[in-house]
Amino acid sequence: MAINTKENKAAGGSFITTGTVLSLLALLALASVPSVVSSPYTLHLMILLFLSTIMGQSWNLIGGYTGQYSVGHAAYFGAGAYTTMILLQHFQIAPWYGALAGMGVALVVGLVVGSICFRLRGPYFVLASIAVAEILRLSAMNLKEITNGAEGILATDLPPFSIGGTVITDFSTKVPFYYIGLGLVVLTVVVTVAVQHSKLGYYFQAIREDQDAAHSLGINLSLYKNLALGLSAVLTSLAGSFYAIYVGFVDPPTVLGLDISVQIVLICIIGGIGTIYGPVVGSLVLVPLSEGLRSNLIASAIFETGIVSESSPVGNFLKENLAHAHALIYGILVVVVILFMPDGVLGFAKKLVSKRKGGRA
Amino acid sequence: MLVFSQSLISGLLIGGVYALIGIGLTIIFGVMRIINFAHGDIMMIGMYLTYNLFTLAGIDPFVSVAITIPIMFLFGALLQKVFINRVLNALPQNQILLTIGLGLIMSNTMMLIFTSDYQILTTSYSSSSFRLFHISISQPLAISFVITAGITALLYWFFMKTDTGQAIRATAQDRDAAQLMGINVKRMSIIAFGLGSSLAGTAGALISPTYYIFPQIGSTFTLKAFVITVLGGMGSILGATLGGILIGVAESMGAVYISSGWKDVVVFVLFLLVLVFKPSGLLGKSRA
Amino acid sequence: MAILEIKHVSKFFGGLAANSDVSFEVAQGSIMGLIGPNGAGKTTLFNCITGYYPPSRGDVIFKGNRMNGLQPDRVCKLGMARTWQKVRPLAKMTVLDNVMVGALCRTSSLKAAREIAMEQLHVVRMEHKAGFLAGGLPIGERKKLEMARVLATTPELLLLDEVMGGLNQAESEEIINLILDIKKRGVTQMVIEHDMKAIMRISDRIVVLTSGEKLTEGTPEEVVTNQQVIDAYLGESHT
Repeated sequence: MAINTKENKAAGGSFITTGTVLSLLALLALASVPSVVSSPYTLHLMILLFLSTIMGQSWNLIGGYTGQYSVGHAAYFGAGAYTTMILLQHFQIAPWYGALAGMGVALVVGLVVGSICFRLRGPYFVLASIAVAEILRLSAMNLKEITNGAEGILATDLPPFSIGGTVITDFSTKVPFYYIGLGLVVLTVVVTVAVQHSKLGYYFQAIREDQDAAHSLGINLSLYKNLALGLSAVLTSLAGSFYAIYVGFVDPPTVLGLDISVQIVLICIIGGIGTIYGPVVGSLVLVPLSEGLRSNLIASAIFETGIVSESSPVGNFLKENLAHAHALIYGILVVVVILFMPDGVLGFAKKLVSKRKGGRA
Repeated sequence: MLVFSQSLISGLLIGGVYALIGIGLTIIFGVMRIINFAHGDIMMIGMYLTYNLFTLAGIDPFVSVAITIPIMFLFGALLQKVFINRVLNALPQNQILLTIGLGLIMSNTMMLIFTSDYQILTTSYSSSSFRLFHISISQPLAISFVITAGITALLYWFFMKTDTGQAIRATAQDRDAAQLMGINVKRMSIIAFGLGSSLAGTAGALISPTYYIFPQIGSTFTLKAFVITVLGGMGSILGATLGGILIGVAESMGAVYISSGWKDVVVFVLFLLVLVFKPSGLLGKSRA
Repeated sequence: MAILEIKHVSKFFGGLAANSDVSFEVAQGSIMGLIGPNGAGKTTLFNCITGYYPPSRGDVIFKGNRMNGLQPDRVCKLGMARTWQKVRPLAKMTVLDNVMVGALCRTSSLKAAREIAMEQLHVVRMEHKAGFLAGGLPIGERKKLEMARVLATTPELLLLDEVMGGLNQAESEEIINLILDIKKRGVTQMVIEHDMKAIMRISDRIVVLTSGEKLTEGTPEEVVTNQQVIDAYLGESHT
């Protein structure tokens, strides 16, 4: 139960800790990946990992730290993605400006959601957050002149990114996306760390633990909840914009669907909410899993072990269907995590380790 | 005027089925304080059950309700016993996530078995209708409305007159007090979840002749079920009945007077307005 | 001078009056005891005073300002803080962090907040528990943590709702000394307490509530000798 006071003080008091050094080393290693790895598929996987981490970290601010379970984060993701694409296709505005505009739109949506939903507690907040996301999805379906409706928007080509006439990159490979993704991961982590080490972080957590107690200790609940949501919405919209320019296509179900909202929550729940490492761990579990299923890697791995023969009916069934099973696996994961590891994989692992240590002592 | 009464009638007819879905959700919420995010998916399973009974065994969808009701009851009771029971005292968000997870498992399992193609259950009367005072009434919707009314009446009788019904109501009112009075709260929870699932499944059976059947249809209905129960006040059966009919009418009016694409938006906006101005529901007393 | 004036405060829930027409004043620097049988409306009155919900009728005047309708966070910022009958530790935060949340009411610097918090933990003699999770503390320490946390908001008026409930003799004694210490520092206090001996010892004046109404008010001596009080309240527990 007890947390080592010394360690706690060190973490709170100064930023230069073993953790910081390790993170910087990890960042250096990640930054050098594209110069070592040339396989586009590996880079693609890494980019998906980054995207998932950004989404998870962003949700974590409102869901994990402030305890307000938004199951409507697709609204902000979609706001970023659609704003970027609409500006790019209709007005030829470069996506980096589009992303800024998307942040603005997401902020406005977030404040509307906040003003409606934060009067509500518990299940009502969850329901309202879903309703707002659904309204956006249906609007994107119906506002055909702007959004192209169900057909979605396909980005024909991306303008090269240049500073003062020098072309930095023309986005012909995955490398620039890799660095953008990495940069956004760093941004969200830095924002989260900064929040943790400020009054905001304390107030967010106090609200999560007990709203009435927090209120009576001088915390303006609606102000701080809206701050958390606004911050989270803006970062989530960045993830959406990044997704849009990377994939080059948006349509209502893929960027505004309930699935996206659930997936965002899932990243944190699986890793463990309210920690910096949670979304990273969650992404490391979810992304390889769903990619492995999608690309039939897992099916071929099963065949290779010889448990099931590829030509048998079961093998055929697996080959045909495992690719579509990632949502099923998500469902099973949620159920397993909620029932058996309510603190996430990370919390579960910690418990196992401490049990073992306890056993030895 | 004709257009108005026409859309009013079709709204009422579909509203009856919505009421069944809403009542199911509200019973589960009332007894366990759990919001069942898998509710629409349970309904979807009822649809597939009906579809297969029709295509494989040739049983008419309105007749197969008699089979669907007990099967879906058992299915719900099983869900409660195996999964829901374990999170009764957990954080509300974990309860919600668990039911979301169960819903994902249901819809994706059905997708693996039946693919994500849209299925159509065509009966001899699927598109037939009759006229009443110049208003055309869809025959399958009319039949389903009659069955819905019968089931609702039975439910009221069950809750008002039978011991088990009263025990469930007592549990919904105050779980601890009910336990002290010797009511087997665990058993009531299983019955409530069974009942709620059975109602959702029945609703699925009743709409299967008029709706496309596909694995992902559930989430739309889950959301509608929330809207209905919140409108009626969480936990109120009468409220859910009225809420269902109100949503049916709002949707059908929205489809006629705005556009069919925007009809769901009308429903959600209505939902948000109620949450903001009257969170205890249209019938509920406002809190102090 | 009165730091707090309660003027004809009533609170209705539905048709039920939880408080009706309660009036009294709390003098600056004093300890006001608030007693009455269960359901007398003591906690409701606290909730009305601290903005948890507005009174249905009447006024709450703190340092000359009308407080009706102010949210609890504003009330706290103005210098009035309360504890909860059922303690509300921020369970997954450390003891130090809990108290820092209180301190952050007055400062935005974590460093300053940490200093204030350690000071208050020293006052309740819990510095050695600073790094523990609040959720894991035994009840006695939870109560002290709650005291330290409100003290960190540097209140001028402190409302304590049964801070000795569920404590043993020694722990209660510790809390009594703490309350007297706080008084020495010039903080006005209003105390709800069931332990009669304790409340008689610490209070300068006592207000007695029964079924939502003020029965009487006076010094501890006056209250214990008041026949109405003996009949209505003390009689049941002291005979």
